[in-house]
Amino acid sequence: MLFGVALGAAAVLLLWWRGTPYVRGTGDWLTDGGRITGLLAGYTIGIVLLLMARIPAFERGVGSDRLARWHAIGGRYTVSLVVCHVLLIVWGYAVTAHTNPVHQTVSLVSSYPDMAMATAAAGLLVFVGIVSARAARRKLRYETWYYLHLYTYLAVALSFSHQLATGAQFISDPPARAAWSSFYVIIGGLLIWHRLLTPVRSALRHRMRVVALETEAPGVVSVYISGEHLNELDAQPGQFFRWRFLTRNHWWAANPYSLSAAPQPRVLRITVKALGDHSGDLAGVRVGTKVLAEGPYGGFTAARRKRRKVLLIAAGVGITPIRTLFETLPGAPGDITLLYRVSSPGSVLFHSELEAIARDRGHRFYLLSGPRGSGDPLSAGRLAKAIPDLRQHDVYLCGPPAMTDATIRSLRRCGVSPRRIHRESFEL
Amino acid sequence: MKRPVLATLGTITCVVLLLGFKSAPTRAARPAFVSPLSSSEPPAVDSAATSPNIASSAPPDSAAASTPSADPATQAAAQTPTPSTSRAPTPTKTPSRSAAPPPKAVPATFLGASVQTRYGPVQIKITYAGGRVTGVVAVQLPSGRSRDAEINSYAVPILESETLAAQSANINAVSGATYTSDGYVRSLQSALDAIPH
Repeated sequence: MLFGVALGAAAVLLLWWRGTPYVRGTGDWLTDGGRITGLLAGYTIGIVLLLMARIPAFERGVGSDRLARWHAIGGRYTVSLVVCHVLLIVWGYAVTAHTNPVHQTVSLVSSYPDMAMATAAAGLLVFVGIVSARAARRKLRYETWYYLHLYTYLAVALSFSHQLATGAQFISDPPARAAWSSFYVIIGGLLIWHRLLTPVRSALRHRMRVVALETEAPGVVSVYISGEHLNELDAQPGQFFRWRFLTRNHWWAANPYSLSAAPQPRVLRITVKALGDHSGDLAGVRVGTKVLAEGPYGGFTAARRKRRKVLLIAAGVGITPIRTLFETLPGAPGDITLLYRVSSPGSVLFHSELEAIARDRGHRFYLLSGPRGSGDPLSAGRLAKAIPDLRQHDVYLCGPPAMTDATIRSLRRCGVSPRRIHRESFEL
Repeated sequence: MKRPVLATLGTITCVVLLLGFKSAPTRAARPAFVSPLSSSEPPAVDSAATSPNIASSAPPDSAAASTPSADPATQAAAQTPTPSTSRAPTPTKTPSRSAAPPPKAVPATFLGASVQTRYGPVQIKITYAGGRVTGVVAVQLPSGRSRDAEINSYAVPILESETLAAQSANINAVSGATYTSDGYVRSLQSALDAIPH
């Protein structure tokens, strides 16, 4: 996949190479630098959108959480390219025309076709980049951030016409124009198909509803959802759906929740902790509420397992997909071990269910309780002591990012290969 | 922290290398583009005299025509709907350049097609003598907007000198005058195509 992306970038650079006879003088250097960064930005923004197109092969093969991380990396890169593109073009034009950059900016925006739209697009992109930066992101509600993020589509639409109307590589090169347009059309088509049409079709086919609600712990609720033809979803233990509860206030937000029990032909179960505003409101969801589900997504499944022995590590509400794997992963007694980290005994989820599974299947189940920062029970030393043959295990890991990062470092110190560590994170 | 630094450095290196390669070898490569024009066969000029493509004959006044002072004249020409070639700007001027074409070469002018751009038509005329393009002048340029004169005044001299240096239509678009440059190059190409070989 990375290779494909690099190949595309090379094609974009070739486009520039072919359309530029030579570069001469400071003005040309700056302007052509601006053209290259502009072309690359136009390309990477397409790739960044593609990563979010919910293409099933990517979602299962790469994993949604990794796609989201790549999306974030690509997004930062794209915004940087756009900023460079704007600065270099203005500067380069100003040098060539012997004007000052301010005057040049005014004339660029006012007298070139579609440049006003493109300026708005660049502003939007930078704005989205700023609100997505880690510091700002922490202060924003998930929903606010999510909807601000949708402005990216507007930015892409606004910027598209200036690419063809003023792009030196496209004005007199119809094949290049056609190729560039089809790149965008294909990505747009994939987005519409997988993010709009597929969910609508699935809603009509499955007609899901909430059939029961059950409080598991303070602030944590299990939601039972029933529907038609659920077996056609082919959901694997460890996967998640993006759920949209059709209440008046929250029909527009789709949030990812893992299945917290192995999927049944008639019933799916998710378990939700009050994290964002949307999940907090879930307690107000009633029996009978209609539900739309997109998915299943995620590669955190038995398909990643290569070893006979498996170590499952969960923290907090990260137990949901881990519990499903604990219930369903094939294994002889003693093959499968679960370490469940909680901050207090009162916040343990599925305690009796986990004990019952461990008893019935002969799995090992350890509860690690203690407040955060009270000495890491998942340190390398303690892990090695608890599980002497740690290196013979596949490790599945789900929990808050700080915990999974620290635990992965511990596992690496114990000599576990990074390819045998599988992580699901909820940084979506 | 490592990844952003690597990405930044990688991108900058890549862009600088591309620009560097583009600026260095193309000058060496330029004679290859010149060859179709610089084949200084005398019959080329002779047969040109009978060609219907010929617009007019004029003394080799390329230098005068391509000075910025000629621009108002070309602007004026641009406003006439179909500029007749006899009304070409600055028809007679004494040759002011010592880099004159080889002796005995009969100069001929070729009018390029009038190319419609987003902001108006662009049409150029070349003077050809001794197997070389010795002069080039824009007879039509966009003039509808107040900014056009400004663009033309800096872009056209660059395009003219680039044409004379490249001896082909393989010239760079001028920053800030992308459309005019594109029309210029296409009109220039059609004029060059009109030269009989």
